[in-house]
Amino acid sequence: MRHTTVRRFRLAVAFAMIAMPAVAFGQSTGTVSGRVTDAANGRGLPEAQVVVDGTRLGAVTNENGSYTINAVPAGQRGVTVRRIGYQPVTQTVTVGAGAATTVNATLRMSAVNLSEVVVTGQGTPTERRKVGTSTASVDAATISRAQANTLDQALQGKVPGAQISQNSGGPGGGGISVRLRGVNSFISGSDPLYIVDGVIVDNSSAQLSDLGIRSNPQNRLADINPADIERVEIIRGAAAAALYGSRANNGVVQIFTRRGTTGKPRYTYTSRYSSNELREQQPFNFYPFDVAGRPVARFNYQDDIFERAGATEQNLTVDGGSETTKYFISGNFANEDGIMRSTSSRRMGARVNLQQQLSSRLIGNVTANYVQTNNELQAFGEQNDYGIMGSLFFAPTSVDFRPVNGIYPLPPALGTNPLLAIDRIRNPQEIDRFIGSAKLTFNPSTQLLLDYTVGLDNVGFEQRQFVPRGAVLGTAPLATGRSQSVFQATRVVNQDAVAAYTWKQMGAIELRTTGGLNYTAQKVRTTAATANGLAPVGDLVSAGSVFSAGQTEIELRTLGFYGQQEVAWNDRLFLTGAARYDASSTFAPSERWQLFPKFSASYVVRDNEPGMLNSLRLRSALGWAGSQPGLANAYSQFVTYAQGPFAGRPGFANDITFGNPDLKNERAREWEVGAEVGLAGGRVGGEFTYYDRLVSDLLFFRPLPTSTGFSRQFFPIGEMSNKGIELLVKTNNVNSRNLEWSSTATYTRNRNLVEKLDILDFQSAGGYPNRIRQGEAAGVFYGSYAARDCITGGLLLDSLGRYRRSNQTADMGATLAQRQAISRGNCNDSLVKVIGNPNPKWMGSLLNEFTVARKVRLRALLDGVFGNDIMNLSTRAQNAGIASNSKTYEFELLPYGDPRKLPPTFNSRTQGIFEYWVEDGSFVKLRELSASYLFNAAPFRRVFRDGIDVTLSGRNLFVWTDYSGYDPEINLFGTNAGGRESVQTTAADRGFDFGGYPIPRVWSVSARVSF
Amino acid sequence: MRMIRKLTVAAAVVSVAGCNLDLQNPNSPTEDQVTTSPDGVIALATGLQGRFAQSYGSFAYMAGLVTDEFASTTAALISISDAEQGSVAPGTAIADNVFNLVYRTVRTADDLITGANALSGEIEPGTASGLKALAWTLKAESLGEALQSYQRIPINTFGVLAPEYVPRAEALSAVRALLDSAANQVAATPPSAFFNSGIMTPGSNLTSMIYMFRARYARMANDDAAALANANLVPRSGTAAISVLTFPAPAVNFYSNVTGGTNGIAPRRQFRLSMAPQDQRGSYFVIPSTTAVGRVGALLDPWNRYANPQAPLPVYYPDEALLIKAEALANQNQLAASQAALDSVRTDCTGGRGIDDPKACLPPLAGQLTQGQLLAEIYVQRRYELFGTGLRWEDVRRRNAIRGLVAAPSVPVDGQRCWLPYAVGDRNANPNVPADPAEPTAFPTGCAL
Repeated sequence: MRHTTVRRFRLAVAFAMIAMPAVAFGQSTGTVSGRVTDAANGRGLPEAQVVVDGTRLGAVTNENGSYTINAVPAGQRGVTVRRIGYQPVTQTVTVGAGAATTVNATLRMSAVNLSEVVVTGQGTPTERRKVGTSTASVDAATISRAQANTLDQALQGKVPGAQISQNSGGPGGGGISVRLRGVNSFISGSDPLYIVDGVIVDNSSAQLSDLGIRSNPQNRLADINPADIERVEIIRGAAAAALYGSRANNGVVQIFTRRGTTGKPRYTYTSRYSSNELREQQPFNFYPFDVAGRPVARFNYQDDIFERAGATEQNLTVDGGSETTKYFISGNFANEDGIMRSTSSRRMGARVNLQQQLSSRLIGNVTANYVQTNNELQAFGEQNDYGIMGSLFFAPTSVDFRPVNGIYPLPPALGTNPLLAIDRIRNPQEIDRFIGSAKLTFNPSTQLLLDYTVGLDNVGFEQRQFVPRGAVLGTAPLATGRSQSVFQATRVVNQDAVAAYTWKQMGAIELRTTGGLNYTAQKVRTTAATANGLAPVGDLVSAGSVFSAGQTEIELRTLGFYGQQEVAWNDRLFLTGAARYDASSTFAPSERWQLFPKFSASYVVRDNEPGMLNSLRLRSALGWAGSQPGLANAYSQFVTYAQGPFAGRPGFANDITFGNPDLKNERAREWEVGAEVGLAGGRVGGEFTYYDRLVSDLLFFRPLPTSTGFSRQFFPIGEMSNKGIELLVKTNNVNSRNLEWSSTATYTRNRNLVEKLDILDFQSAGGYPNRIRQGEAAGVFYGSYAARDCITGGLLLDSLGRYRRSNQTADMGATLAQRQAISRGNCNDSLVKVIGNPNPKWMGSLLNEFTVARKVRLRALLDGVFGNDIMNLSTRAQNAGIASNSKTYEFELLPYGDPRKLPPTFNSRTQGIFEYWVEDGSFVKLRELSASYLFNAAPFRRVFRDGIDVTLSGRNLFVWTDYSGYDPEINLFGTNAGGRESVQTTAADRGFDFGGYPIPRVWSVSARVSF
Repeated sequence: MRMIRKLTVAAAVVSVAGCNLDLQNPNSPTEDQVTTSPDGVIALATGLQGRFAQSYGSFAYMAGLVTDEFASTTAALISISDAEQGSVAPGTAIADNVFNLVYRTVRTADDLITGANALSGEIEPGTASGLKALAWTLKAESLGEALQSYQRIPINTFGVLAPEYVPRAEALSAVRALLDSAANQVAATPPSAFFNSGIMTPGSNLTSMIYMFRARYARMANDDAAALANANLVPRSGTAAISVLTFPAPAVNFYSNVTGGTNGIAPRRQFRLSMAPQDQRGSYFVIPSTTAVGRVGALLDPWNRYANPQAPLPVYYPDEALLIKAEALANQNQLAASQAALDSVRTDCTGGRGIDDPKACLPPLAGQLTQGQLLAEIYVQRRYELFGTGLRWEDVRRRNAIRGLVAAPSVPVDGQRCWLPYAVGDRNANPNVPADPAEPTAFPTGCAL
């Protein structure tokens, strides 16, 4: 039973880390010191954490592995030593008053750490070994070494099962979407629920004025300073997230920010300077003759639109504390210019995390985070009136955009002058955000833990837009100029109460019972003022002459109760049953209360035992979760009337979207099985999970007969599944005195399938050739295709060598018989078919880290996505008749005889054949590459406690891909699910490249000092 | 334990306060709020007139495009230039709009009837009467627009999950019955002054609309007696002589919306060139151009009538009554009276009744025309007098002057197709939608009704 005792100790430590139980006051104290060494070679282990159990006393070992902890209360104490990649050790010693006690520890390497404590999805802190689902956790070191602007960027390539895509390359992080185990919903964006220190936070990507309607300039997670983060936990689906009920279908990402530690104030200053650049230019038509053979001047506007741009980031943190009070304070300033001229993002923030021992059994925690983000953006994507990328792709290269007498010429057919846009069009955003929480933890007895958290996320967001007079083509009101100011206030209030009771041990059986309640209220208020007909000077709304305004208010509340029973047998077998009973205001009162149960089992076969197979744990779980409609559809249960003023009088008319008075949530059922394996004496660790998720009652718009005066209704329309494999392997390849080399590889395979669709298949991205179709993956490309010979499969070109569109009279013949004759079969009989799949077949990453002579750290992360298709609509736009600026179009201009010569109108034919624009989007990115050197010679350490850590790094340095566009990762849609009809978009809409903001290559140099 | 108590109380208070999950939508009123209060129902009447302006505009736009009235401008979408050549694929947005918008108007009219009935005790009788009559009238006219665009149409759509399509004769009787209800209603209980000034769009007159529409659909049903009787009841002078829908800024009239941009259409130049040179209706409707050319080569004139985005949209032009009267009289072989009515259309000149309507200002016809000549002349005058109202399509159809699909006719003959394909929005969700009717392939052809 000794084993069990140690285990209990560990659990106690776990609580100590999170709940921080009290020490008895007024005791005399002693000193604990010693040295931590590696069992494999006897070397001292630096950066190991040593804590005195039951207290918050602790130290980190120095370069030789030595540590000292002062003022340890006398008496019998447990001392626990932990270090990443090693198995933690706890020793019990007696500390004498005024005496020095030596505690040396020898740690064994272990790539599998089943003792790690996880919180997310469990109600209370729980050891990983007991949890029947896989939880990914990412620590502060991993995040800071990514040298990324935002947390979601830093997570790219780190989490198996997650497809984290940067949809645009704008400053301030770009719009990033996170899909955990595939697309699970069409309505809610499919992004996970984000929680910061127990507070549900807003990660919307609100587009308050038109910056490309459905494009993704920035998601609000960009407001969180990555340097404040201690740890991130990610649970990927329904089985793990059942306790979050009707909003957890897409998984949960919980962020824990840094806490203070006992001791004198410790200041850490980090400074980073970066240089961003366009990775590579796109080819354009620079042929010096026009279609009639006349000489023509061509211009490359990429030189004028893009530039090498700088970025700086400064972080100052101070932490420290006493026995009763601990604090972490940080200040942060980041300023990044985008590679597209006139775009930038600036973030300033401060955080205070305070922990106060209120009584021997009561601890209070307060966090306060204020952020101000200021962006200067430009429209891109499908904004073709004043968007810069659209203007670049649609303008013939023969147009001279340089201003004449201060007047910028406009392009001939579509878009604006990109130089004018850079010079005069402005889209500033200002975000003022406060995220705060207060938490009380009460331990009335060693068996009972009570916890209450209240949190607030308050975002004030102003989006302005200024389009001067005469900046766009045509006579529409926009040509008279537009000034807009849109204010959006978002407030999320979150309350969480949880009680956990650990029963007295009964033989081999241990029991813990947890119960809790959670209440979330979100309110989003938006006010917009717009003016057209602008005066020549002045760019505020008041400079206009024709005004319009709008206001909306949306409120969502969710109340849930949950209970969980855990049973442990012999500290080997763990069974958990739990349920959440949940109601959201968005659903019909009759359908509102839903039960989301989960069951899980975990069996530890071997836990850090000697031998080849030193650890093995098997786990399995089954759970249910739901998802709620996004803000755009928050009131779908109501049959409402739309405002229809007429002739200057107020009026109502039925909303053509019919309410659904029986609206209920989508429901996901997920089961997973998996294992953690430790091999080769802890040098190799692996995590494997297979999951199977079925989402039923998928909500979307079912068509209503338009003869009823309605068009659609939010309704359960079908079922969709995601099945897949997640694999994570960590190896310690070399571990010698002067060289450490470790590797981490991830593999993710997900298969999405629309299992059942009760309505006709539909285009999920309004206006784009994709489909939600039974029997296919969600969002498959579906459109016109090139006719092929039905026997050979070869392209059926016409006599000039041009493509023919299938089943098209003009291209193939007047009658079906004629068309089948030249096809030699019926393979071209349809006008449209499935022509590609934007969902990757698999994703993988490989991280290698080297530490040389304990001073130099090298790190390289390769991140790849494989087997996905991209529809390159940017190049299609370039080929359109009005643009004719692509390289392919240039080949049409070449003289006959040139082997690259394309027949005339080759490109106008391909405009109508969407299959032609589908490309393989597989890529491997050198996502991160860095080299760090620690200057820790004595002179440095006299000034800075730990020396100076200098890092040279790069992000997105190289991309290996066959994709011809700017970047295979960018996507026209992705974070802005919602909209209807022509602007409809869902989480399934992936793989469209249309005027995206290219993702820059980033070089950085950073330094960290502490004193 | 004191602390436990305190904590528990605090947690309970904070958690449960404000836990009400029954939230209302502050952005849009619910069905209850609108249909159960007098103010809501009155606002519904305004919404109905707004919807009617939309569906009427959409009908007139499409009807003009598949006849010889309009053609696409250069920036227009392909589907618009296809339509002017008679090719309208199922699912074409501009065509489906006709159906969808008509039935939205019908739905709002049904809501208004329901609301006005339910609140009959709370709304004073004259106003309630006006509300019901307005709803019946606009529902009838909307269904009438549908039956001028589709071979079969649904007529019972309120509270029905899958409305059934009925043949034209049945639909036409339903339309006429609705108008009769409206006429009886205003005769029994005249609309209140509040209704006429505060609910009807300024510039429109419900009673005149009812008579005009009754005459219009009586003529369509070949009921000459009713056509004549109602045409005679349409006032010839004063404010009641014309009814218009107004568009104070920032609202714009329907044609202003579709003359620019990707929906762009303009009148075909042939409208002006085909009329007598001194006919003043040419310059009333268009600004003569020598350069405007459409997407597929049609010669165009820009609008004059709707050049101002705030120009009112006529619910009807008053001289339609004279033309219906002339036709009914000609059918009844009262040729002199018919010719006299027709001459008052031809000789209508600026200054006359002070009404903003097309004025031919032509000389009277010389000598008595035969019945056939009169009907032909009525057809010609209807073309010029009723331009842009959508009525041209029915005239072309009943004169068997449909040409069928033809590639890029720069000068088309009268009409390009018989019917629109049924709306995909209805087909996708309603099993009762009939197959799309076949279009003629030879000219001139009549249409299967």
